[in-house]
Amino acid sequence: MSCGLRDVMEFETLGRPAVLAASSAFTGAADEQSVLLGQPDLRRVLVPHPIQDRSDDELRVLAGDAVEALLAAVAA
Amino acid sequence: MSPVELELLAIVKHDCPVCDQVLPALDSAGARLVSQSTAEQTAEQVARLSLTHTPELDPELALSARLDPDAVPALFLLQDGDERERVIGLDRERMVELAAAAGKSLVLDGLPALRPGCASRTRDPEVAAWLAARRARSEGRIRARELALGDLEDPIEALHDRGVTDGLPVVPPTPERVVAMLQHSSRHPQEVVAEVPPYGGVATVEKVAINAVMAGCAGPELPLVLAALQAACAEPFALHGLIATTAPAGPVVIVSGPYAERAQMNAHGNALGQGNRANATVGRALQLTIRNLGGGLPRREDRAAHGSPAKVGFAFPERLDETAPWAGLAHSRIGLGSEETGVTVFAGESPRLVVDQLAREPEALAASLAAGLESVASTRVRLAWDAMLVVGPEHGRVFRQAGWSRERLQDELFERTQSPAGSLVRGAGGIAEGLAPEWASDPEALVPKFPAADRILIAYTGGDAGLFSMVIGGWVSGTLGSDPQTVSVEPWR
Amino acid sequence: MALTVLDPTAERDPAGRPLAPRDHAPKTVALLDIRKPRGDVFLDELETLLRERGIEVLRETKPTFTKPAPADLRREIADRCDAVIEALAD
Repeated sequence: MSCGLRDVMEFETLGRPAVLAASSAFTGAADEQSVLLGQPDLRRVLVPHPIQDRSDDELRVLAGDAVEALLAAVAA
Repeated sequence: MSPVELELLAIVKHDCPVCDQVLPALDSAGARLVSQSTAEQTAEQVARLSLTHTPELDPELALSARLDPDAVPALFLLQDGDERERVIGLDRERMVELAAAAGKSLVLDGLPALRPGCASRTRDPEVAAWLAARRARSEGRIRARELALGDLEDPIEALHDRGVTDGLPVVPPTPERVVAMLQHSSRHPQEVVAEVPPYGGVATVEKVAINAVMAGCAGPELPLVLAALQAACAEPFALHGLIATTAPAGPVVIVSGPYAERAQMNAHGNALGQGNRANATVGRALQLTIRNLGGGLPRREDRAAHGSPAKVGFAFPERLDETAPWAGLAHSRIGLGSEETGVTVFAGESPRLVVDQLAREPEALAASLAAGLESVASTRVRLAWDAMLVVGPEHGRVFRQAGWSRERLQDELFERTQSPAGSLVRGAGGIAEGLAPEWASDPEALVPKFPAADRILIAYTGGDAGLFSMVIGGWVSGTLGSDPQTVSVEPWR
Repeated sequence: MALTVLDPTAERDPAGRPLAPRDHAPKTVALLDIRKPRGDVFLDELETLLRERGIEVLRETKPTFTKPAPADLRREIADRCDAVIEALAD
């Protein structure tokens, strides 16, 4: 998780909009991490916890639910 | 007045033997106890002295800062929270009296009559700096936005990443450092120095101080930077045009007067080079301020094809000692007294050498230096460009011994930088550049290099040994370009 | 210890490390798999959905989720794509 936001910060520094898709269990940690990295507005889209126990079909639904937010996070 | 309205307050700390001596008695007397130490440290002291009351803590030293005792133990008589009287350190008689005034019986028998206390924590240099910064913010002297650098960020990289450097690392401008820098000017930090082109950002004294910290200034340089910014943003200097030009020039700062030495600038060997903190940081602070407040960046608003190393920063002092042939540049331009200091800001490039190891007469030396001046920008550029001649001491001696004034030298250089039109016309010598043919109808007619003698600025500095002077090529003169500006440093001190 | 500094600028820009400009919709998106289990199913579906929208997709994988992406990989992704979606952190 922490590595994911570091990657996002580095991509932004390289001039590429980036977003991390993460489990909703990490919302607080994500807020803290982005502050520690120096940019509270690092983009993240939270996907409802749990992840590991879901079936393939459930994961595809989560992807479908998240895609608009993910695209918006890198386009605006 | 009834003793009920009066309060007996004692400020103490855990690592003070005098506090240890008086605390048990203060505790028994029922004084209000406040400790400057942490919770753990205070608890340890309470246990060690077997006190019945635990002193209150003074988080962020707010109470200590308000009452501001030099030393602890500090005993105060407060009425409705306001101080009526204080006793600092152990003074048995006065402490007992003070306590009685508050209706408390303080028994200090067996203790020494007098004993100085220990320094209050507010006097610890780091704590004092932090308190000063906090006070500056609460009093509105500091108003700049705070940038919280992430815990996981390296502070040096973080400032590069935020685009506020000139490519070299900067000193992180903490509130403590900025408040310390502001001590070096009597002006209010919120006074506006200038609106900086191209985007008109407002440079207050505070903003200049922040950039001066970043540049690495020690402190005394601040008035020089403030004066330089005032001069650079004066309309005739045309800073907007200077930033936007494709030519390499940038603001060059010449300091004339005794304050240069106060700021520890170097006017001797290597004055234009590296190694002296003030020489290196005054020009840098000016350029960082212009960049960060004005918003003009290389390859965006700043269109310089090459630029020059001088654009990182270029400032030097004149050497106005017994070897100087003339008064300071600033003094002659705006009529300053010799005890005053002025800065001149000139649109210029990096300096270039003119060697003359043989001339002993002023006419010959002037001719030699003129040849160096005539080639500024190109020998074919005429009546359009400014330049500065920085005369070194071995050359300066020739003019001084001949009694030539600065104006005389300017006139002589002006005369000697003229050339026949025929040699300057386009195509002459196989060179495409030059005067349009209609300006060369009389090939013998002499065409000056400079628009006027006073467009050749003359400064004096450098080491004792070396038969050298330096030419600093300028930029476009006059209304189409920039006019050098001189201001006094005195109002900024 | 986090360091606080005073802003040396005219304070027109937002505070914080600068984000990349977001002035157009991306034409090519990198989907960066951090290699946590089940992430590939999520990313396969995202790839399908993005392609349906006419967006080109580049699939990349981090060597391990325990460290930031190697600089070479980041550089390559930045050279080839307009935007990056990293998934799926759990």
